[in-house]
Amino acid sequence: MFRKVLVANRGEIALRVLNACRELGIRTVAVYSEADRNALHVRFADEAICIGPPRAADSYLNVPAVISAAEIADVEAIHPGYGLLSENANFAEVCRASNIKFIGPPPEMTRLMGEKEKARQAMKKAKVPILPGSDGILSTAEEAREWAGKVGYPVILKAKAGGGGRGMRIVRDAEDLPNLFHAAFTEAANAFGNGELYMEKFIEQPRHIEFQVLADEHGNVASLFERECSIQRRHQKLIEEAPSLQVTPKMREEVGRTLCKCLSEIGYQNAGTVEFLMDASHQLYFIEMNTRIQVEHPVTEAITGVDLVKAQLRIASGEKLDAILPTKLEIRGHAIECRINAEHPHKFTPSAGKITVFNVPGGNGIRVDTAQYAEGVVPPYYDSLIAKLIAHGVDRAEAIAKMERALSQFIVQGIDTSISLHQAIFQDAGFRAGEFDTGYVERFLAARAEAEKQPA
Amino acid sequence: MKQQDIEDLRQLIEFLKSHGVSEFDVDRGDLKIRLKFNPQGSAPASLSDLARLLQTAPQSAAHPAGTAHAGATSGAAAAAAPAGDADAGLHMVKSPIVGTFYASPSPGASPFVGPGDHVEKGQVIGIIEAMKLMNEIESDVAGEVVKCLVSNGQAIEFGQPLFSIRQA
Repeated sequence: MFRKVLVANRGEIALRVLNACRELGIRTVAVYSEADRNALHVRFADEAICIGPPRAADSYLNVPAVISAAEIADVEAIHPGYGLLSENANFAEVCRASNIKFIGPPPEMTRLMGEKEKARQAMKKAKVPILPGSDGILSTAEEAREWAGKVGYPVILKAKAGGGGRGMRIVRDAEDLPNLFHAAFTEAANAFGNGELYMEKFIEQPRHIEFQVLADEHGNVASLFERECSIQRRHQKLIEEAPSLQVTPKMREEVGRTLCKCLSEIGYQNAGTVEFLMDASHQLYFIEMNTRIQVEHPVTEAITGVDLVKAQLRIASGEKLDAILPTKLEIRGHAIECRINAEHPHKFTPSAGKITVFNVPGGNGIRVDTAQYAEGVVPPYYDSLIAKLIAHGVDRAEAIAKMERALSQFIVQGIDTSISLHQAIFQDAGFRAGEFDTGYVERFLAARAEAEKQPA
Repeated sequence: MKQQDIEDLRQLIEFLKSHGVSEFDVDRGDLKIRLKFNPQGSAPASLSDLARLLQTAPQSAAHPAGTAHAGATSGAAAAAAPAGDADAGLHMVKSPIVGTFYASPSPGASPFVGPGDHVEKGQVIGIIEAMKLMNEIESDVAGEVVKCLVSNGQAIEFGQPLFSIRQA
């Protein structure tokens, strides 16, 4: 096991990793920007090194500063957390070149999964179902029409050079295709200087289902079941749960087995999450893989009893999966997580500043992962996540009851938080019945805006 | 811990403190000792001093004893010398990077500057090594060097004060 690990991150995940290290007897080194001088991850680390000014680009994303800190503190390994440098293959390579173990997959894996088209092909080869689409660029509207026939309507035309929703057109009928093709092409050409388009099947009202995997450095891979993350606003997850009500035991077993075989063959190592979209007929389609620990990992920890961050450390130090995981992985109960953000619950404007009151709920089956505290300051330079509230119950109904109780006792003053938004969602009949897809939050917010316009 | 072990440990602690060691680790079998002392403005001993100390330290520290923990944690990897009140009004040249500080252009050579020296803005006053690259540290003001706040070979963090300069 490592003697000393540096955590290249901040906030709640840095503290999470430090905690796992501490419990394993590993000496911890925190890095921090000048804005995080009084942060909890700094307070509770064995050693702490200031690596730069507040801006992330100059500190937490500053590879030479992080590596230099690792060298002067003489660490054996670096845990990158999530976000920041966690999926930066160059950073992983610099670690390797500096003789520091990067706690995550090899840089080659990060690169492979970072190139969406290559990742799709790798999954396709391994018989993991992928979103049907064109094989590359569509030269003419005619070619597009042919592909659409194969893929099946509705389809979405996307700009190869694109982003921000531009150069995209959803096509529902064959007769609309030529016009929409030319419209998308022109828009893309104007916006990006390149009008080239490709096609994917468009899923109406999809659910977002992801599978947690762990792979050791000896070729063994295990699936730790799925999470449902459909409650999102502008592609940012708000509420996650495990397991998904939509995944049958048979699907879970089949997908798990296929993923383990695929990832073992390509040589994946350490923790990862494979993301899927699920259509109305419960068919799963691979969209991408995240080669790191994720924000919502606690719901998987709750239902499996496996500490995923400790597993990462143990895998990276050479242990085999059968020493880390129980003989039989089983789902116990149901867990839900709320991401508590420092933002206005209606306007969604970020809220930085000093927290004056911070009462954290507790009790049976309640877990709070946070690096904030009363008198603590939320700096304006980083993301707005300030706490994760996780409820674990014997079933979904109990998890919901616990979450509602805990949300009502989570008192934060001095800054705005999303707590009241979470409370409103938990009261909603659709959410309680498990009837939602990735469009749920937008519809919920629109309905709420409508309701608020009505005279009291 | 046995009485004799406690006595040996006390002697070890006195020994380390009197030689200005700020951090000391022993990990031998089932004995793990980690000692950290509050910085008192003096720099930690260099590695070669520490090696010499370990050879002469009491052998009986090898008895199984669990962990001992002395001194308050300072929270900084290197003993970052805090700027005292006497430094008020002086300009601090702070480190722009993380790394290891060297006072001289090469080992054995004389230091770039010493207390009392006049420096110009842009003059090289030290080196910080980061990832095997030597980075020249320039004074950002002109004036007289009052004090070097760090020692040769010390680990440096971003923003750490290196020199105090009386601007002229």
